[in-house]
Amino acid sequence: MARPSSSNEVIRLVVLYVVLSLLVPLLPWLVSGIGTAMYQPKKKQELLQREQAFAKKGDVLSTLSKPLSGKEVKEYQVLMTNVVMSPSWIQSLVGGILSLFGGEINVFTKVVDWSRREAQQRLREEAAANGYDEVINIRLETTTLRKIQGAKDKTTGVEVLAYGTAIKY
Amino acid sequence: MQPQVNIPFSNTETIPGMTITQMMGVVTGSTVRAKNVFKDIGAGLKNMVGGELKAYTELLQESRNEALYRMLVDAQARGANAVVNVRFATSSVAGGAAELLAYGTAVVVQ
Repeated sequence: MARPSSSNEVIRLVVLYVVLSLLVPLLPWLVSGIGTAMYQPKKKQELLQREQAFAKKGDVLSTLSKPLSGKEVKEYQVLMTNVVMSPSWIQSLVGGILSLFGGEINVFTKVVDWSRREAQQRLREEAAANGYDEVINIRLETTTLRKIQGAKDKTTGVEVLAYGTAIKY
Repeated sequence: MQPQVNIPFSNTETIPGMTITQMMGVVTGSTVRAKNVFKDIGAGLKNMVGGELKAYTELLQESRNEALYRMLVDAQARGANAVVNVRFATSSVAGGAAELLAYGTAVVVQ
């Protein structure tokens, strides 16, 4: 009379096996998804606060080759700031799937936009830290860091470089 | 550390407060770096949640300074005393390496 209970046990074991074998490969994606949701909004909020602290005085960055005020430049220095950012695993996965369909890949747009803002904000901060009034003639440069074929390290990322001439009146 | 090359350089078309008297041609400085050589275990883990990879930010910054330094050495070798209109460019070369290039116009200023 032990047969029904033992077959129940077998079913339970099979179900457990199936659930586990599905869950274990998904675990890194799950960790990545939760990690992304906890980490990235926090960092973006910090960046927004840093930007707002500078926004009160008006933007010091410009792509013009001469200061708009026409004042004489007393001191200058070329400043460059860069940042390398990477989409998280889950963002790469979602982006990869979306790119099959074409159109805008929103997850990647956000990452590149974020790094560009970060690079520009660092330029503002570095100019302010060295006592410069304005940064003129700024250029933004973007590069992708591709993974090496066959290598263990699968890191990919995007580098944004912001540079310009910082000036003192 | 690299020895300092004391040549003023600027991103703009002129060196403020000086006049250009002679042009010495385009000078370049470049370096190719592969990120795997300076591989950092932290960067691989950081990739999981995304965001900045500090190790690579610093690596590229150092490499770019090296490229800039080579450009200034080139300018000095040509007898220029300033470099104007400096630009930076980066490109991916095969095998996951990145080339960092700095170029500009070497000039004599007074």
